[in-house]
Amino acid sequence: MTKKIFHSIFIVALVILLASIGIATSFLYEYYNDSQQKQLKAELSLVADTVNKVGIEYFENFDSTVFRFTVVYTDGTVLYDTQANASEMENHADREEIVEAFQNGTGSSARNSSTFSKKTFYEAVRLENGDVLRISISQLTIGALILGMLPAICAIILISAVVAIVLSHAMAKKVTEPLMQLDLENPSENSTYEELTPILTKVHKQHKEIKSQMETLRRKSDEFEQIVSSMNEGLVLIDEHGMVLSMNTAAKNIFAVKNDVKGSDFLLVDRTVKMSKAIWNALDGNHSEYIEERSGSEYQFTINPIESDGKVLGVVILVFDISDRAFAERNRQEFTANVTHELKTPLQSIIGSAELLENGLVKPEDTSRFVSNIRKEATRLVSLINDIIRLSQLDDNNEPATETVELTEVAKEVIEVLTISAAKRNVTLSLEGEPQTIFGVRRYIYEIIYNLCDNAIRYNVDGGTVTIVIGKENSRVIVSVKDTGIGIAPEHQSRIFERFYRVDKSHSKETGGTGLGLSIVKHAVQYHGGKLVLDSEVGKGTTVKIVF
Amino acid sequence: MRSRFDEQLSLLNKKMIEMGAECEELIALVAKALLNGDVEGARKAKEQGHIIDQMEREVEAICLKLLLQQQPVAKDLRVISAALKMITDMERIGDQAEDIAEIIPFLDGRTGAEFTDFKLMAETTCKMVTDSIDAYVKQNVDLAKAVAEHDDVVDDAFVRMKNMLIKLISENKADGEYAVDLLMIAKYFERIGDHAVNIAEWVEFSVIGVHKGA
Repeated sequence: MTKKIFHSIFIVALVILLASIGIATSFLYEYYNDSQQKQLKAELSLVADTVNKVGIEYFENFDSTVFRFTVVYTDGTVLYDTQANASEMENHADREEIVEAFQNGTGSSARNSSTFSKKTFYEAVRLENGDVLRISISQLTIGALILGMLPAICAIILISAVVAIVLSHAMAKKVTEPLMQLDLENPSENSTYEELTPILTKVHKQHKEIKSQMETLRRKSDEFEQIVSSMNEGLVLIDEHGMVLSMNTAAKNIFAVKNDVKGSDFLLVDRTVKMSKAIWNALDGNHSEYIEERSGSEYQFTINPIESDGKVLGVVILVFDISDRAFAERNRQEFTANVTHELKTPLQSIIGSAELLENGLVKPEDTSRFVSNIRKEATRLVSLINDIIRLSQLDDNNEPATETVELTEVAKEVIEVLTISAAKRNVTLSLEGEPQTIFGVRRYIYEIIYNLCDNAIRYNVDGGTVTIVIGKENSRVIVSVKDTGIGIAPEHQSRIFERFYRVDKSHSKETGGTGLGLSIVKHAVQYHGGKLVLDSEVGKGTTVKIVF
Repeated sequence: MRSRFDEQLSLLNKKMIEMGAECEELIALVAKALLNGDVEGARKAKEQGHIIDQMEREVEAICLKLLLQQQPVAKDLRVISAALKMITDMERIGDQAEDIAEIIPFLDGRTGAEFTDFKLMAETTCKMVTDSIDAYVKQNVDLAKAVAEHDDVVDDAFVRMKNMLIKLISENKADGEYAVDLLMIAKYFERIGDHAVNIAEWVEFSVIGVHKGA
């Protein structure tokens, strides 16, 4: 802008300068010519008067370097000339001013000389004797005059150009200075040119708009960031060139990325062929999904295209940790396999014994043994089914009647039932502690204590003891069953509460039981919102404590 | 013009990583099939081998196009020439992994996993390939250097394995065919390890401009 203003001022100044020089010169030249002609006429009439009176002899002593006088005879021959020899001059009869003078008494003309650098003005008058007296003067033409003045004109133009440059530069700067110093951050606080006010107001308005929009955007992206970062699932956004746009904390953990990878190629994060293929697939607009194990956990990767108007703008990768789900799935499958196996074994035994009896292959004295075998296996089957029914009741979580239960009473009941089996294994059952009441389902609590004691007796040593302790700890009711049995090795401790889990799979028949007892305990304790604490050492015994 | 060059360079980088990942997965697949005696897995792995050959030609074409059309200098030239060298090594890794896969059906369900050195070789080699590709992806010189150190483990294990097999054959404990098959597989692993070291060295070259072999 400064440049433009400077150029305009400079050019205007120069044009005005040149124009005024031209106009002044031509005007002055005209004026000068005019006055010259007048002077010529005056001089001529003066000399003509004298010549009329004195005759041609007047010129004898005439000395004039400024003007040139010529006397021409009526036939055109030159009688006298102040600057040249009259006899050598040609006939002047056809000269314009002479012809005019002969006819009208006076004549005038102007002619350029042969070189055009000079112009000669002529004035002629007819004398009384009929001759014509002519006066002439030579002067420079306007072209020659300007040519002669050229150095001076150039000097003037140069000097004025320099002055114009300096001044116009300063002026241009001065004009633009307020514009340069405009505070666009606070457009409303400027007080410069009135003409700028609408623009500044508009800028101010847009400023405010942009600010509020930025704020909204920032808030939205913050929100998004917050939501995404607190997600348990890994989320990665990729643009159509495969560059990472966003990656949340969970995804960073899953892909084992430490630094910020925003803007880098996703291949740097994960280059597995499966993933690359899935991303290509997604960029073609297709959905893909696969499960893969990474650092011990199982993940489900879901890769989807982000589409807008049928164009793929990018890819979103969602990663779910399905370790628990996969674990539960495996557990369920194992349970089904176990149930069928456990149900089948006694049945096979029953069928086998029955077939032998049917075909009469059993000696009469052995018959009772086979029959009692069938009865035993059938009993086992029934108790197994009963256990499964109880478990599924607990699984169903239907609300059985709750009541105030006195724990020592239940424990005594259990001891009564189990005394015989305890005596068989030579195990002493005892109860310690004072009566405690809790609010719960009596049947479930009975199941808990019964199953714990049953296990404690079953896996005890000859002459061992089982102690039920009921009391209070940190103002919470506790029930613990302590035995002096064989103990549980640490690697089994986390699994014994699973259905059908057996520490010693090969001897399960000998010890009896269905493998569902502890599972029932776990569910029943969970139903009451309690906590199970297992403390066991191989060879020393086990203590199971329940904190209600 | 420049932006097009950069585009092509990043495409080259992408293809290199993809090819590396393909190699890495192939060798892992083969090692798994071998140690589990999984003939079906070996057959699948063998089918995957041709993808690497195809990718090699693809990367090669990109490299030559870049060299001819863009006449790169300095680091760009280094990156491209290193890439040309690396894909040869990657392709060899793929070929040798395929060769191992070809032997697996002839082992008759035996896996060689009973020899700890054999298992060590398989596992270390897989790790070396992964590390060398990792070094390329992250342009990490330290990681590249670590690959060469692992190679010593593989070389030592190979020598021990060889001596063990010689001893077994001379004592007539193992049948000869099995021992020779294992020896061949061990040799392939040893070679794959060397190729991984080569890749690592070219990574180092493309980053710092000095090749270890020079």
